[in-house]
Amino acid sequence: MNWIRNIKSNMNSWAILSIVFIILILLPNLSIIFQFFSEPNENWAHIREYMLNTYIKNSLILVVAVGVLSAIVGSSLAWIISAYQFPLRNFFQWGLILPLAIPPYIGAYTYHGIINYTGVIQTTLRNQFGVTVDQQYFDIMNMPGTIFIFVIFLFPYVFTITKAFLARQSTSLIENARLLGSNPWKIYFKIVLPLARTSIVAGVSLVILEVLNDYGVVKYYGIQTFTTAIFQTWFGLGDLASAIKLSGTLMLIILGLLIAERVLRGRKRFSFTTTKVKLLKPVQLKGVSKWVAFSYATTVFAVAFIIPFIQLIYWATLTYEQFFSEDLLSVIGNTIMVALIAATLITIMAIVISNFSRLHRGLTAKLFPKVTILGYSIPGAVIAVGIVTLFIGIDKFMYQNTLVSSYVLSTSIFMLVFAYVVRYLAVAYNSIESGFERIGTSFTEASRILGQNITKSFFKVDLKLIRGAIFGGFILAFIDILKELPLTLILRPFNFETLATNAFQYASNEMIHEAAVPSILIIIISAIAIYFFHHVLERE
Amino acid sequence: MFVHIRDLQYRYSNSDHLTINKFNLTINKGEITTILGESGSGKSTLLRLIAGLEMPSKGNIMVGDDCMCSQSKFVQPERRGIGMVFQDYALFPHMTVSENIKFGLVKWSRKDKKARLQEVLELVNLEGYEKRYPYELSGGQQQRVALARALAPKPKLLLFDEPFSNLDADLQIKIREELRKILKTTGVTSIFVTHDQEDAQALADRIVILRGGEVSQNGTPEEIFGTDCDISDRIAVKPRVLSRT
Amino acid sequence: MKIKYFLLTSIILSVIFLAACGDDSTSDGDSNESSEEEINLYTSRHYDIDDELYKEFTDETGIKVNVIKGDEDELIERMKREGEQTADLFYTSDAGRLFRAKDAGLLQSIDNDTINENIPENLRDKDNKWFGLTKRARVIVYHKDRVDPSEVKTYEDLTESKWEDKVLIRSSENIYNQSLLASFIELKGREEAKAWAEGVVNNMARDPQGGDRDQAKGVVAGEGDLAVMNTYYLGGMLNSADEEEVKVAEQLGVIFPNQETTGTHVNVSGIAVTKHAKNKENAVKLIEFLSSKDVQKQFASANYEYPVNPNVEPAETLKQWGDFKEQDINLSILGENNAEAVKIFNEVNWK
Repeated sequence: MNWIRNIKSNMNSWAILSIVFIILILLPNLSIIFQFFSEPNENWAHIREYMLNTYIKNSLILVVAVGVLSAIVGSSLAWIISAYQFPLRNFFQWGLILPLAIPPYIGAYTYHGIINYTGVIQTTLRNQFGVTVDQQYFDIMNMPGTIFIFVIFLFPYVFTITKAFLARQSTSLIENARLLGSNPWKIYFKIVLPLARTSIVAGVSLVILEVLNDYGVVKYYGIQTFTTAIFQTWFGLGDLASAIKLSGTLMLIILGLLIAERVLRGRKRFSFTTTKVKLLKPVQLKGVSKWVAFSYATTVFAVAFIIPFIQLIYWATLTYEQFFSEDLLSVIGNTIMVALIAATLITIMAIVISNFSRLHRGLTAKLFPKVTILGYSIPGAVIAVGIVTLFIGIDKFMYQNTLVSSYVLSTSIFMLVFAYVVRYLAVAYNSIESGFERIGTSFTEASRILGQNITKSFFKVDLKLIRGAIFGGFILAFIDILKELPLTLILRPFNFETLATNAFQYASNEMIHEAAVPSILIIIISAIAIYFFHHVLERE
Repeated sequence: MFVHIRDLQYRYSNSDHLTINKFNLTINKGEITTILGESGSGKSTLLRLIAGLEMPSKGNIMVGDDCMCSQSKFVQPERRGIGMVFQDYALFPHMTVSENIKFGLVKWSRKDKKARLQEVLELVNLEGYEKRYPYELSGGQQQRVALARALAPKPKLLLFDEPFSNLDADLQIKIREELRKILKTTGVTSIFVTHDQEDAQALADRIVILRGGEVSQNGTPEEIFGTDCDISDRIAVKPRVLSRT
Repeated sequence: MKIKYFLLTSIILSVIFLAACGDDSTSDGDSNESSEEEINLYTSRHYDIDDELYKEFTDETGIKVNVIKGDEDELIERMKREGEQTADLFYTSDAGRLFRAKDAGLLQSIDNDTINENIPENLRDKDNKWFGLTKRARVIVYHKDRVDPSEVKTYEDLTESKWEDKVLIRSSENIYNQSLLASFIELKGREEAKAWAEGVVNNMARDPQGGDRDQAKGVVAGEGDLAVMNTYYLGGMLNSADEEEVKVAEQLGVIFPNQETTGTHVNVSGIAVTKHAKNKENAVKLIEFLSSKDVQKQFASANYEYPVNPNVEPAETLKQWGDFKEQDINLSILGENNAEAVKIFNEVNWK
C-alpha cells in the first residue's frame, strides 16, 4: 500500500526521463563493467607483474599533483577575480577559461615544440648568441612536464565552476569577513576554500578524469599510466578482453570514489536561500597588491594560452596555404554542427537528471546520477567499443528482422552524437548540479506551494536562477566535443571530418606544423563560444 | 474540525530516529495555532509534512474535507491549496514584488490578478512597492511580501516557518501584532512554528508544545502559561495543563 | 522564458536533424547494394597524399571512395562487430595489424594478375589476403661529426658497451619498435631478442620520449649519438617547412643495418579486401590503382615511403641513401610475434 503510494507520487516525468536517460548511458558501459568480473586470461599475470605496479604509481602521482595544483590555481584565480578589482580583471573573467580551448595533447606538442632543440628558444640562443644549452634543462617530456601541461590546460574547469559559485553565493559571508578585518589570505583559506568545497571538488574531479583518460599527452611524453596499460594490452598484446577488464577496474574505482565523496558529504548543504542574492562587489585593489594580482593572472594566462597560441600561429604561417579549400569550410561546419547538437542534448539530459536527483529524497536518487560520470572516467577508445557493440547490435537486430535494408544507426552521425552524450554528460552535469546546489530547494518548494508543479516551477523559477550554470555546462561540453578525438575517429560516419580529426591526422604523423591550422580553428571557435557565454552572464 | 492530523510519523532516510512520532492535532477553522519547540524537536519537519514537501511514513492529514495524505494517497504540494511563509521567505530574486505575489494566482484572469494584488498589498501595507525587487526591500518588508504572496491565492491553510527569526527585536513585536490582525481579518486558519515563547503567546489561539517529535502539551496560551505572569517569568513557570490528546 | 523556447527549439531541431541523418544514411546504404559507384574504406593512414589519390581514383573511374580514418585496432573491432555489413577495404600501416585482421577472419583472398604483377610476392600475404603498398625501413641514424659509420653496422651493435648512454629510441608502446623486435624473435629466437632489447635499454641515453623526429633532434642536440627511426620521418624533416628541422636532418647520416647479415627491418602499409565486401570489384580496382606505377611514384615522392612496385624508383631524398637489403621474413610474422615482443619490452623495462 504504502510503497505504491510512494512510487506513484515520485513518478513524475522528470523521474521517468531521468531513469530512461540513465539507462541509455548505462547500456554501453555495462559491458565494460561486467568485463571486470570476467576470468583473467593468460596475459593477466604478465600485465599485473610488468605493467600495473609502476603504471598505477605514475597515475597516482599525476592525479594527486594535477588535482592539487589545479585546485589551487583554479580556485585562487576564481577568488581573486570574484573579490577584487584590478587591471584587465574583466577580460580575465572569461580569458582564463580560454586554455580549455587548447586540446592538451596539442598543448603538449606545442610546448615541446617551443622548448626542444629546434624550438624557438634554443634556436634563438644558438643562432643569435651561439649558445648551445644542456638538453637536460630544456626537457619537458617528463613527469613534472606532464603535470605542468595538464594543470595549465585543465585548471579552467576548477576556475569556471568555482567562480560561478563565488560570484553569486557568498556575498554576505565574505563581506562580513571583510568587515571583521580578515586579510585576503585568511578569507581565502578560512572561508572561500571550505565554502566553495563542492564546486572545487566538482571542478577537480573533471580535471582528474581528463587526466586519467588521456592518452595523447602521456604517450608523447613517455609517461606510463594506467591508460598506457590499457592500450598496451589492447594494441600491443592484441588482448581487448583484458584491456576492457582494466578499464572496468578503473571505472569501478572512480565510481567508488565518487560515491564515497557523495556519502561523506551526506546531508551537509552549502546553499543559502536568502533573498539577498546579490553579486559580490569586487573591492578595488591598490598599490602593490593590485599589481601582484594582475601579474599572477597575466602569468597564468600567458603560460596557458598566449605562448602556445602564438607558437601555433607561427607554425600555421608556415603551412596555411594547403588548407584553403572548400573542404575546410565543410569541416568547420561539421565540427560546429555536431558539437552544438550533442552539447544541447547533453545539457537537457543533465538538467533533467540533476533536477530529479535534487528534488528526491533518498540515497538512490543521489547516487544514481553518478553513473553519468562513467563515460568520462575511462579512455574514449574503450567507451567506443561499448558504443559500437550496442549500436551494431541494434542495427543487426533491425536488419535481421528486415526493418531496415542496411545498418542505419551505426552508419549515421547518430552513433557519434550518442557517444558524445555518454562521454560528456558528466561535464555539463557537474556544472549544472553545482548550480542547483547553490540555489538549494526552497525556491522550488515555494513555487510548488504556490500551485506550480515541478516542471512549471523549473521553467519559471529554477531555470532563471541557474541560467549561468546551465550555459556554463553547455559551453564546457561544447568545447570538449570540439576537441574530442578517440570517439570521433572511430565512430564517425564515412567521409566525416572534424577539426579535431584533421589536427590529429597531422599530429599523429609528427607534423605539428600542419596540425596548427585546425588547432587554431578549434581554439578560435571555442574562444567565441566562451566569450558569448561570458557576455550572457554579464548581462544578468 | 478543519485540520485533522492523525498518528503522523516521519523518519529521515538514513536515520533510525523518528523525527515525528505519533503526532495528533485538530484545529478549528480560523484558529491560529502555534507549534512551539526547540530546534531539533521536529517542528519544521511537521510543517513540511503538512505542506506536502515531505512524505510521512505513517498517518493521515485532512484539511477541510480533503484527505491530503494517507496510506494510499499523497497529494502533491502544488495541489493542496495550502500557503506557506518560509523562514528565509524564499522570495524569487528575479521577480518584482508584484510578480512574486501574482505567481501563485495560477488560473486567475488578468483583471482578477490585478485586483487581488492590490488587495493583499493593502492588507500588508505595501502599496506602491509593486515594481521593487526583493533585494531592494528591508527584512520586514520582505517578510510582508512573503505573507502577501502566501495569502494571495486564498489558501485554506497558512503555514509559517519561524517567521520572525530573521527580524530584529522591535520589528518583531510590531510585525507580530500586525500579523495577528491581518490573519484575523482574513479569517484564514494558520499554523506557526516557532521556538520563541513570546511569539507563541502573542499570536496563538492555541499552543502545541513539541518535544522529540511528540506532542508534550496542547492548550490555549492561558492554559499553558497562565494569565497573570509576565513573559519573562513564563519561561520558568511549569505549565499547569497537560496535553489533552 | 527565452531559454525555454531555446531549449524547446533545440530539442526539435536535433530530433529533426537526427531523423534526417538517419534517412541520409539509409539511402547511402541502399545505393551501396544497388549501384557500383562507391567503395567503403577503413584506413588507419592519415596522410594527405592518400586523400588526393582517392580523389584521383574517383576522377578516373567514377567510383566514390567513402573513408573512415581511425586507429587500426579499433577499426578491426568495428569490423568484427559489423559482421556482414562492413567496409569493403581495410588499409593500414602495419603488416602486424593486417595479420590480426586476417586471423580474425575478416579478409578474403584476391587473385588478380595486375596486382600480382605490381606487387612482389614477399610483400603480399601468402594467401593473397592482403597487399603491401608502401615500404618503410627502420634504420639507424648517426651524427655525421661524431660517429664513424663503419663502427655501426647492425642493430646488434647498438647494444655494445661503447654506445652506453648514446642510443636514442622511442617508447616500446610504438608499433615500429614492436615490429622490429617481433622480427628479431623470428630471426634469432626469443632469448636473443630479449638480450638485444636488454642491451638497448642499458645503452639508452634517456628514458624513451617523443616520436621518431624527436630522436633525430636528440642526436643533433648531443643527447646521444645514435637514433633508431623510420626513413620517411627523416625524409619529412629534410623537406620540412621549418628550416631548423632541415638543419637537424642534414647533420645526420643513415645506416641501413645488417646488410651483411639478416637485412634491414621493413614494414609495409598494406590494403585488404574484407570478407563481406559488397563492392568487391571496385575494391580490387582501387588496389590495382594504388599499386600502379604512376600512383606508386606519387606515394614515394609525397611521403618518402619506398614504393612496392619494382618498376618505380624511390624519391630523390631516399635514393641518396642508396639501396639496401631487407629482412627476409614473411611479414605476417610481425603480427604473430607482436604480443611476445610487447612482453619482452615489459620484462626488460623498456618504457
